[in-house]
Amino acid sequence: MQIGVYICHCGINIADHVDVEALTCFSQNHPHIAIARDYTYICSDPGQDLIVKDIERYQLDRIVVAACSPTMHEDTFRKTISKSGLNPYFLEIANIREQCSWVHDDRTRATEKAKDLVLAAIAKSMLLEPLEEEDVQVIPSSLVIGGGIAGLQSALDIADSGFKVFLIEKDPSIGGHMAQLNKTYPTMEMVDNLILQKMKGADEHPNIELLTYAEIVAVEGFFGNFTVTLRKKPRYVDPSKCTNCGHCEEICPVRIPNEFNLGLDHRPAIYLPFCQAIPHSYVIDPVACQYVAGGECGRCVEVCPSRAINFDQKEKERVIEVGTIVIATGFEPFDASLKPEFGYYRYERVITGLELERFLSPLGPTGGNLPPHWAEPENIIFIQCVGSRDKAVGNEYCSRICCMYTAKQADLLREKLPGARITICYIDIRAFGKGHEEFYERVQKAGVIYRKGIPSEIFQKGEKLIVKAEDSLLGELYEEEADLVVLATGLNPSREADKVRNLLKVNWGPDRFFMEAHPKLRPLDATVDGIYLSGACQGPKDITDTIAHAHGSASRATIPLFKGKVKIDPIIASIDGEICSGCGLCEDMCEYQALKMDDYRGRITVNAALCKGCGACHSVCPVKAITVKQFNTEQVFVQIEVMA
Amino acid sequence: MTTKKKANAAGRALVIGGGIAGMQASLDIADKGFRVTLVEREPTIGGHMAQLDKTFPTLDCSSCILTPKMVEVGSHPNIEVMTYSEVIDIGGKAGEFHITIKKKPRYLDVKTCTACGLCAEACVQRGRIPNEFDMGIGKRSAVYIPFPQAVPQAYIIDPNNCLMLTRGQCGKEPKCQKVCTPNAIDFTEKDETITVSSGVIVAATGYDQFDPKLKPEYGYGRYKNVLSGIEFERLCSASGPTGGKIQLNRKEPKRVVFIQCVGSRDKTVGNEYCSRVCCMYTVKQAHLVRERIPDAKITICYMDIRAFGKGYEEFYDRIQRENILFRRGNPSEIYKRGSSMVVRGEDTLLGETYEEEADLVVLATGLVPKKDAGEMSKLLGLSHTPDGFFEEARPEETIATSRAGVFLAGCCQGPKDIPDTIAQASGAASLSCAQLTKKGKTKDLRCR
Repeated sequence: MQIGVYICHCGINIADHVDVEALTCFSQNHPHIAIARDYTYICSDPGQDLIVKDIERYQLDRIVVAACSPTMHEDTFRKTISKSGLNPYFLEIANIREQCSWVHDDRTRATEKAKDLVLAAIAKSMLLEPLEEEDVQVIPSSLVIGGGIAGLQSALDIADSGFKVFLIEKDPSIGGHMAQLNKTYPTMEMVDNLILQKMKGADEHPNIELLTYAEIVAVEGFFGNFTVTLRKKPRYVDPSKCTNCGHCEEICPVRIPNEFNLGLDHRPAIYLPFCQAIPHSYVIDPVACQYVAGGECGRCVEVCPSRAINFDQKEKERVIEVGTIVIATGFEPFDASLKPEFGYYRYERVITGLELERFLSPLGPTGGNLPPHWAEPENIIFIQCVGSRDKAVGNEYCSRICCMYTAKQADLLREKLPGARITICYIDIRAFGKGHEEFYERVQKAGVIYRKGIPSEIFQKGEKLIVKAEDSLLGELYEEEADLVVLATGLNPSREADKVRNLLKVNWGPDRFFMEAHPKLRPLDATVDGIYLSGACQGPKDITDTIAHAHGSASRATIPLFKGKVKIDPIIASIDGEICSGCGLCEDMCEYQALKMDDYRGRITVNAALCKGCGACHSVCPVKAITVKQFNTEQVFVQIEVMA
Repeated sequence: MTTKKKANAAGRALVIGGGIAGMQASLDIADKGFRVTLVEREPTIGGHMAQLDKTFPTLDCSSCILTPKMVEVGSHPNIEVMTYSEVIDIGGKAGEFHITIKKKPRYLDVKTCTACGLCAEACVQRGRIPNEFDMGIGKRSAVYIPFPQAVPQAYIIDPNNCLMLTRGQCGKEPKCQKVCTPNAIDFTEKDETITVSSGVIVAATGYDQFDPKLKPEYGYGRYKNVLSGIEFERLCSASGPTGGKIQLNRKEPKRVVFIQCVGSRDKTVGNEYCSRVCCMYTVKQAHLVRERIPDAKITICYMDIRAFGKGYEEFYDRIQRENILFRRGNPSEIYKRGSSMVVRGEDTLLGETYEEEADLVVLATGLVPKKDAGEMSKLLGLSHTPDGFFEEARPEETIATSRAGVFLAGCCQGPKDIPDTIAQASGAASLSCAQLTKKGKTKDLRCR
């Protein structure tokens, strides 16, 4: 057997802690090694070229690359060796970076360990078998989860590329958080223009099917062929008949806090989510409606001139098939009551940024003003980083938008209340986007006071709120009276994200936002093939960055649709039908539903597309009928033996 | 000058710029089956990212991410890479742009060159010409390869320094030509003009580093131990002139001061905007110093630390614990006292002025529009925002432009870090492909 060994310096990542030359000499002396080389970056063009040329020159039939983790570049090198006609699976990677040079300081001992790792890889490489990748057809459609600005933009892009899109939204209307906002920074344009344009675009697009007031209940299948079961909640109002006359709303006896306005006003049980909602139709809240709850009332049915209300509607399940899935579940604002020192629930005039956004919106609960029963505030204090950069509440990350939305809100209040003294308490001002620094400067010049240092507490003294803080630039403590305190609440992952994560089996990071496949190589792909991340579900983002991100994930999600087929990884479990007794233990063990009992033959079968090659089945099989290709018992044990 | 014409292809995209943005956009478009012409003005693709050592916040090495992508671009059947070429004219409209490209002479046949390197060793100018890839810290020959992992893998002759090209003679005969076994060198090569048609254009022309000489108070250019951000990257890089050892005149600096916002957030130099990457790259560079010189005294002078991306705040927190002093307030001047530098500033948190001695000062130089961004924007028919970067269709939509069929990717639209650049570049690919799909039946236009 002719084996080629390639040892990567990875710049100095490996070479600094492992003696790569000694490692090369050592490998060269192995009896089966035809050639051993070291190079600065094996993954680069000249590095890959070395391998390609050597395969021909030395008639190599196995390749060992000692470099970084296989998750990083195994695919790269498989492509490389297949260029020379060698089976791409005649490759074994010895991870001497993550599992050696990065974690050891002692160069001598790290080199010894690297030798062992290379030796094991060589031993395994001799037992490798050729594998063939199979093609699977891709269903030319996509599912986008979430109807906020990210989901809308991703759906529009995929649809514009000529593919069918299902856009699913848990709420009765699309629009997401962006529909709740007033103006955008730094240009101070009305948000409505943009979000309505996208909402209408999605509604009217022939390739987009909106599935509002619906949620996912099950996801089966695999990359290219996902089968998704949806549950559509009953609206009890037929959108095609509803004329939005509003008679039902007037007659409804119920009044409950209106979630769109964050509970700042009330709505009936039959309601329009917000005035530009799409679908533009009333909906009945099943929890609040007296008829749904107890069968009494029903007054709305009587007054509806178009007979749009139908209490017989039931929950409907529907199964759709898609090739790729885009997650755009967004965020939810941090719960300010988790910072009790700011007294958010205790004091009426301590409000959150999003609440102020609703107050300032012309279509908000107060028509664009602060509540009329509040005396005009003379002293307004904004507090930044509430629920961000704060390990005490478990959110170490920066929420990326609060600095700027606070600057914007301060500017709007200053225009409305020219006499008020406005102070912003901050840690660092993060005005990093295009035009942000210029806007920040303008706000400062307009007379808004910036004080470095986050207040430690807020308490009441008579009519006034007292904000207690340290000005870290002056190095002194202060107490300041305030009539209104606005908390710049940060962004948490949406609660929906949790459900989606379990259904799709994608990973999240320590910050609880969805994790990308690689922060720089594949920042838009989720950790499962065929699933992509769009917008704030991947991490906090402003509108601008969200839209760019959403365009990007649409691009990623359409690549397989354009290609029409995907390759499936051949490193999967295989069953020896002669040995399998059909006990079925493995079937329960498999997390991916890849193993099914063939009732006729009484044997287990593997679905190649579903199997991820994790090996869980192998470990439970009492008769050892299951092996995982490339990781069979012999291949694993030989590695242990040579290292022992 | 010879002129070549390429067959029309409406299912084709033109991508201008072969940095990470242009590469990602090209790959995404090409993967969907459309053809891409990628035009890069330098002799290799890779852009600024190739010059970086490690990337924040994961400390992955930049090359390990970039070089395989470069190989993928270089070998993709749907991508035609035109290096050392410039777009000189753009006519037509969305769906049918006519682009004229000038291919500069390399004086060396890319296909024949084996990149053996014998020519560079034989060159009489060997070790005399400042290497621009290493920001002039290292030296190269007149015939050179920009960096060992360059794509295409081919040498190039520098027309401004080659004696044969400047004086018409190099000794008795040019040594490079003599040692070149495959006979790849051809001093008679001329400019070539090529026209291509494309349905869409992606501008990914990137940025330039701010010239720190415009802040004379920091003495850049006067003092050898005052470096710019990218210079320091080269000094740290394993493939750099010192092989990754942080050394100045073969001596390890023990006192290192980093200064943020050099050329950013600074109206005196006309750059009011924030460059978005300097806070984090400085934090990363400080970590690299700590890792390689464990006993160094490290100070970072800042205005605000803008650690806003995913995992950035966590990274900043980790680095603060590595015994690195963060001082709020940017220094007012740097001067020399004996053999060391003195950094003079006000610590705005302590409210007192200080003077700190340093062996090495690194200026966190910001990002400015490309020198010729004005001309390029004219060619593309775009306007630019007051900061000099290309103007997007509307502030919230950073990819589309006022001209149909022209899209933006990466730093040409405004400073951006790598993840944001890649997201935007994929986005530009999405809009491009939607446009290409519209202009005719996709299935027919795409190549198989």
